[in-house]
Amino acid sequence: MKTLRSADIATGFLLAMLGLLTLWASSTITTTMEHRLSPRALPYAVGLLVLFCGIGIAVKAWRFRGPDPEIKWPDGVGIKIITVSLASIGFYNAFMNLLGLPLATFLYITFSIWYLNRAKWLTALLTGLICGIASYYLFIRLLGLSFPEGFFFKG
Amino acid sequence: MGFSWDYLFQGFVTALSFQNLFWALVGSLIGTLVGVLPGIGPASGIAILLPLTTVLPPTSAIIMMAAIYYGAMYGGSTTAIAVNIPGEASSVCTALDGYEMAKQGKAGPALSISAISSFIAGTLSLVGLTFFAPLLADFALVFGPPEYFALMFMGLSLIISLSGRALLKGIASMAIGLMVSLIGQDPLTGAARLTFGTAILTAGVDFISVIVGLFAISEVMINVEQRISTISRIDIGSWLPTWADIKQCLWTMVRCTGVGFFLGLLPGCAPSVTTFVAYDLEKRVSKHPERFGKGAIEGVAAAEGANNATSTAGFIPLFSFGLPTAPSMAVLLGGLMMYGLQPGPMLFATNPDFVWAVIASMYIGNVMLLVLNLPLVGMWARIVVIPFYILGPIIVFCSVVGTYSIRFQAFDVWVMLLFGVIGYFMRKFGWPVAPMVLATVLAQMLETSLGQALLMSQGSPLIFFTKPIAAVFMGLGLLSIGRGFWLQMRSQAPEVAMDEPD
Repeated sequence: MKTLRSADIATGFLLAMLGLLTLWASSTITTTMEHRLSPRALPYAVGLLVLFCGIGIAVKAWRFRGPDPEIKWPDGVGIKIITVSLASIGFYNAFMNLLGLPLATFLYITFSIWYLNRAKWLTALLTGLICGIASYYLFIRLLGLSFPEGFFFKG
Repeated sequence: MGFSWDYLFQGFVTALSFQNLFWALVGSLIGTLVGVLPGIGPASGIAILLPLTTVLPPTSAIIMMAAIYYGAMYGGSTTAIAVNIPGEASSVCTALDGYEMAKQGKAGPALSISAISSFIAGTLSLVGLTFFAPLLADFALVFGPPEYFALMFMGLSLIISLSGRALLKGIASMAIGLMVSLIGQDPLTGAARLTFGTAILTAGVDFISVIVGLFAISEVMINVEQRISTISRIDIGSWLPTWADIKQCLWTMVRCTGVGFFLGLLPGCAPSVTTFVAYDLEKRVSKHPERFGKGAIEGVAAAEGANNATSTAGFIPLFSFGLPTAPSMAVLLGGLMMYGLQPGPMLFATNPDFVWAVIASMYIGNVMLLVLNLPLVGMWARIVVIPFYILGPIIVFCSVVGTYSIRFQAFDVWVMLLFGVIGYFMRKFGWPVAPMVLATVLAQMLETSLGQALLMSQGSPLIFFTKPIAAVFMGLGLLSIGRGFWLQMRSQAPEVAMDEPD
């Protein structure tokens, strides 16, 4: 998908598939009695809309014969940075219940800042520490929100 | 329930007492903080702080809660402008132009115009609340399910303008938004829809996760990919808007006050809806609609003005009928009842001292917010020059905390992450994001009112065209859609142009 045209053809096709999936999922909705607006009605309508939009986008792009702009994809390093950044958010979320908000925040912030600028390890450590402690006192202690505290603060 | 200068004067005397001024100030500060923190909206903020107000006399407590409410409505714009995190759906339109201004080194003027527009719209709406409350309260009662559906339909037709020339992509974006909103239980029958047999999807997908993902996470991905050093490399310059900026936005503020105020009288017509309507109106009347979405200062003024006007207008049905127009109003209603005050037609007659003191305090609170926040604009504006290797992870931290705090489920954060990735690809492929957000915001009310209206008409869709108000909204919506398709068919441009004028 180097150009917008090829991207439109691909996303149009994917969208059409999503529309079909939605139509199939809509047909499995169980309804116990007659309703003026059946619970299947809107999912069917939306599924059809997605299907037609997908086909429309793909066909329009297929038939388009004008100047085709290139998509600015990241280079290899950019892809690596994005992947690691997304993975670190995933780990942050996955381990929040186990570690608690303050500790998970400390680890996430410290790692992310260090990863994005390795020379600034002290800034990373201090910012992580501040955010971790602030998250505990502001969200858990002061506002009393039900964030996981984790073994460190519970203990 | 009638207006009296004596009551208003007495209200100001009560509101200006040291104790009430102090609690209004505390409420404004806490409200602004609640607004700045993503995810913790005014409803949660008031609910969390409600027990703390029990030590106060009823009037002071309600003054403080009202101040928290409008402070939070104001504060939501800060993160939307500075770091592209619209913690509330009502701040999405502010982010569209505000963040673009921040990237151009104009975060200060954007934040200032947001404060000024909020102040002007809030004050004009208060005048409406003070003098015309009885008359306007009846307006809310003529709206039934057919009128609501027609209004929501007209709201959805805004995607035509929000999509620019990428109309098909805009409609597809809206359809995906609607699809996401349909996941979970049917609001009328309780049937599970599009859940694929999983329990976690039965509770549905919260639109805040979608919004934060589409805006904040995708923005972080783009910035990380480009290895940018700061959001704005341009010197911050002046923190205040120029007179020309203010003059340019003056009529915008008046128009969006009208839109926000009248729509705000309707239960369920939350700021998240009215900000889109006001933004679209401004784009349509502007001589340079191509600037919208690229840092138009009127876009910020329109969204923030409508937001505040709607918030203030919500007090009219609340006081007059005990009808909460938004979740935060429902919490305020609970607060009123906790103090033995029964909102409704008799409230003005039985407790005039209380009602007029609260109304007077809102005038004062608006001034307080302006005076408090304008000097802070410089501080907030400086966020954009924080090195991105520090700011990026902090944006993610705020987004995760805000999203997690909606239902305290890790699932919502996964949804946010997924929509962050979707938003990233949408930006790359030139898809407009706003239609998806608009659809997720409007979907539930659209569906509920459609079901109720069809029940009323025994299944006949003609009800939307036989009721005068509904017919007008449907007509406007159909006209807007027809115009969009006509322009699209005339245009030979490919589906690439995002946020360009029609």
